[in-house]
Amino acid sequence: MDNKRVVVTGLGIISPNSGIGKDSFSEAIFNGISGIKPISLFDTSAFKVHTAAEIQDFRAQEILGPEGLRVLDRSARLLCSATLLALQDAGIEIKEDNSRNIGLVAGNTLGSLKSICDFDKVAIKDGPQYVNPSLFPNTVINAQVSHACIRLNIKGFNATISTGFSASLDAINYALNFIKLGRKNIILAGGVEELCMETFLGFHKIGLLAGIKKGSVELSCPFDKRRNGIILGEGSCVLMLEDLESALERNAHIYAEIKGYGTCFEACRPGQHNLGAAGLKEAMQSALKKAKIKPQEIDYICSGANSTVNSDAMEAKCIKEVFADSFNSLQVSSLKSMIGESFSASGALQVAAAVLAIERQMIPPTINYEEKDESCDLSYVTQARACRVNNAIVNAFGLGSGNSSLIISRFFN
Amino acid sequence: MQDIESEVRNLIAEVLEKDPAEIKADMRLVEDLGMDSLKALEVLVAVEKKYKITIPEEKLPALNTLDATVAIAKEFLAKKEDNLSQP
Repeated sequence: MDNKRVVVTGLGIISPNSGIGKDSFSEAIFNGISGIKPISLFDTSAFKVHTAAEIQDFRAQEILGPEGLRVLDRSARLLCSATLLALQDAGIEIKEDNSRNIGLVAGNTLGSLKSICDFDKVAIKDGPQYVNPSLFPNTVINAQVSHACIRLNIKGFNATISTGFSASLDAINYALNFIKLGRKNIILAGGVEELCMETFLGFHKIGLLAGIKKGSVELSCPFDKRRNGIILGEGSCVLMLEDLESALERNAHIYAEIKGYGTCFEACRPGQHNLGAAGLKEAMQSALKKAKIKPQEIDYICSGANSTVNSDAMEAKCIKEVFADSFNSLQVSSLKSMIGESFSASGALQVAAAVLAIERQMIPPTINYEEKDESCDLSYVTQARACRVNNAIVNAFGLGSGNSSLIISRFFN
Repeated sequence: MQDIESEVRNLIAEVLEKDPAEIKADMRLVEDLGMDSLKALEVLVAVEKKYKITIPEEKLPALNTLDATVAIAKEFLAKKEDNLSQP
């Protein structure tokens, strides 16, 4: 199973700090452009915080054309768009003769929440008789991937991985297994989440958002002493993953190779991290072992830190333990300083950033890093830095506590 | 009554994502205009909601043209008005 090599041959990205496409994403992340702004999607006057990483001016019709969008919710539009962009970037056109050979798997956990609420609001306000039957399919958790497969004629398989913060890394692993088992040669894998009032309300109510506590700053500043919570975000990112032989055969551009994945679920109480960091440590060590890469061979850590007090400290502790001999020379940065926390989409966006770091041999920065915190005692990249990036590790973890890590390497044939 | 025809045409056009002018009175919604079962149900619900009437779902196959849909809407609207006028 492990003989097959899996490479990245396409990127489809829609991000709050860059809008549409991998080129604008690349420019934005290496220039430290923030996508965090006052929210325009809904009224925030009843909330204590008012900013998010929102994709402003997103018009799916510009990517997908106008037909059939009427019944797609925002997350389905985001995923359909990112999937099409990945296909275009990889130079693959789906036709009848290849449609059964291509599958799509994406991480998504909250994407149907707004559709569920909107559907139920009509039933409550107007009566159950008047709900729109065409909007019911959006209320199920696998709606986004199914919509994308139907719209783009992807018939190989469709799957939704709903494991919270680590969902899109877990989706990429699902694709890796499919390819390594020889079940498919080409798989689109990624994640999507949309920003909406319903999700914002939930995170606000449980006190996870930055700026809620009196005197705290409404800022995404991973690892910084001022950090006090997340800035919620949204986005979609889809990677074209391909068996190396298939990629070489069609002379595809190979961005990078996926080398290893590790995961560990710790079954903490809801809303809790294991501050001992055992789960993330195990996920990273397992990914390194799978990739047959030593800790000192890792050049870049694309951190999952999202500006929450405990989880950033937990990741920093974990990095110091796993990379005990090399953490002083490691390059660490968190994309979430620019794009916020987009939950099940974050991991895929981080993978895209790591792939571009390898492609450009440059590390994207953690912006807003100003005040050192002893509990996050690592050296962080705060300005884009040109350096060797042969191996990168991406971490995704969250409350609960699921932890996943993925290793991406420069492709050498 | 002209208004009902125009309103139902607009509802069907919206569901089918077509210009209302494309929806001719006797065109077959499935064969000529690409209606499917879910969209047909959506039209039925939209008509019910617009006029605050209840159309039994067994009538669904009969909503096969604009003319037929308008006729059914008028039939149930008349029943509703009859019911309202009864003491």
